[in-house]
Amino acid sequence: MINSNFEREFTAIAKEYERSGGNVSDFLRKDIVSIIVSGNKVIGRNTVDGVHVKAKELNNGVEIWLEIDDGTVIDNPIHLCTGYLKPEGTQEILIHNHLGDHTKAKFISHCVFPSGVNFTHSMVADTDVGKYSEMLYEDTHMHSKDGGVTVKATYNTVVREGGSFQNFFYLTKTRVGKLFVKMNVDLEKNASAHIESKVYEREDDYLEIDEQLYLNGEGSSGIAKTTVFATDRSKAKIINKAYGNAAYSKGHIECNEIIKGDSVEVGTVPELYVRNEKAELTHEASIGRVNVKQMETLMSKGLTEEEATDMIVRGMLR
Amino acid sequence: MLEVKGIKLVRDEREILNTLTATFESGRVYAILGNNGVGKSTLSYVLMGLESHRDYEGNVVFDGEEIDLLSVSERARKGITLGWQEPVRFQGLTVKEYLTLGGKLKLSKEELNETLSVVGLNKEYLDRFVDESLSGGERKRVELASIILVNPKVTILDEPDSGIDIMSMEMIERVLERLRDKGSIVIIITHREEIARMADEAYLLCGGRILASGEPEEIVNFYRKLCDNCQHINEPITEGGRVDD
Repeated sequence: MINSNFEREFTAIAKEYERSGGNVSDFLRKDIVSIIVSGNKVIGRNTVDGVHVKAKELNNGVEIWLEIDDGTVIDNPIHLCTGYLKPEGTQEILIHNHLGDHTKAKFISHCVFPSGVNFTHSMVADTDVGKYSEMLYEDTHMHSKDGGVTVKATYNTVVREGGSFQNFFYLTKTRVGKLFVKMNVDLEKNASAHIESKVYEREDDYLEIDEQLYLNGEGSSGIAKTTVFATDRSKAKIINKAYGNAAYSKGHIECNEIIKGDSVEVGTVPELYVRNEKAELTHEASIGRVNVKQMETLMSKGLTEEEATDMIVRGMLR
Repeated sequence: MLEVKGIKLVRDEREILNTLTATFESGRVYAILGNNGVGKSTLSYVLMGLESHRDYEGNVVFDGEEIDLLSVSERARKGITLGWQEPVRFQGLTVKEYLTLGGKLKLSKEELNETLSVVGLNKEYLDRFVDESLSGGERKRVELASIILVNPKVTILDEPDSGIDIMSMEMIERVLERLRDKGSIVIIITHREEIARMADEAYLLCGGRILASGEPEEIVNFYRKLCDNCQHINEPITEGGRVDD
């Protein structure tokens, strides 16, 4: 529940949270696990049976431990909201998620930094997905308009035997500023993962994404995918890697970068490493303008080039 | 009225369209019949003004105005539209968003549902994505629905039956009826006799020019007789003119 000392802060964060697509009323429900962080304070928290939440305030941020008991299936998504309302400063968030065996949980995370002029947010999420458990993590970011936000987000995940992990990162509605995303996933026997990032860059935004799949267990499978729409003078460097270390492991990496503007600078590096002859890895990569046939299809119905581009990109980044 | 005056388009030193001339009137359906490779789809791209097909000679005149310099969007805003032979897919866009052009077309639920029923789809499709989850036939039907909803003055349908089973001919007939009733000029590009018979008038295209024009049945017979087993596509054995000339 919301700490009454921080109601004004909650209201400000809630406004941004709603703008990013969240539903604030979920934070007030007793049947939903929620954690709201502002700066280095936990201003709201709730949990349900089978889920244990601990938090510790740090000098510049918060460390959170979230554990889900074996066999627990959580019907409603777990809501995490991290905000920082001041224009300058740093925030460090450390998250330790542990899902027991045979659990199922969906996480909805929103990071809102609406005023950042010279602000850095560092986040490291270490996650352990138990045997035969399913975890979905959706992380949506909203940054300030002037590009003064720097985000360094690292996700380290281990998926145990038969487990399933999906991680989606979105930064599409606001300026990016500077963004560095690392996703590392270790997959054990018959485990699967789908990690995906979607980013819309404007002006002089800068982006580095490094997604790595370690297919360590026999029969494990994974997809690492990135979609970037780079405009104006923005830059992007995308690295997708897959390591086929076990028999019958299958991995696919994919990067699609759509560019608009003569001053855009983007690159992609797919890397595949096979250490077992029965492993299978594939990759796809494309850099280019918005698909001409898609454009002409919409323009032949009366949209301008700008409108058609916007509609196509909006769909791709959804 | 849409007039095509002496259109010539050359690719790799080959005349894809060869001084092609034709006239199309409102509220009538025209079939452009011909074998593969005779320039049918090229004609549709020229009429629509696709960037890759704007380097033609001759004129396209719509309601008395030469529109050769107009872009695809500009021609579309004048009321010209194209139904693609193989409609492209869009990741992340729903059928509803596609049909309303992302909300630009203000359409009621009733209009959307009714139009979907014309093409044999139900309202459940509105929330489906226009991506690989739709079959080729479903995607084609969505394309035809989108054509109806933009209320065009000129409709160019490139192979409207491709990807659609033979049982769906009635659906195509309903679409043509709807467009004809609204006063649209409808130009169907086809090599299927059944589709050509749905038109009010037909043109037989060969070697990038009109080889014959007239009643659809006459043109279909001519096509069957001379073109079905043609060994010399794009080298017509007779000069242009009506079948009965």
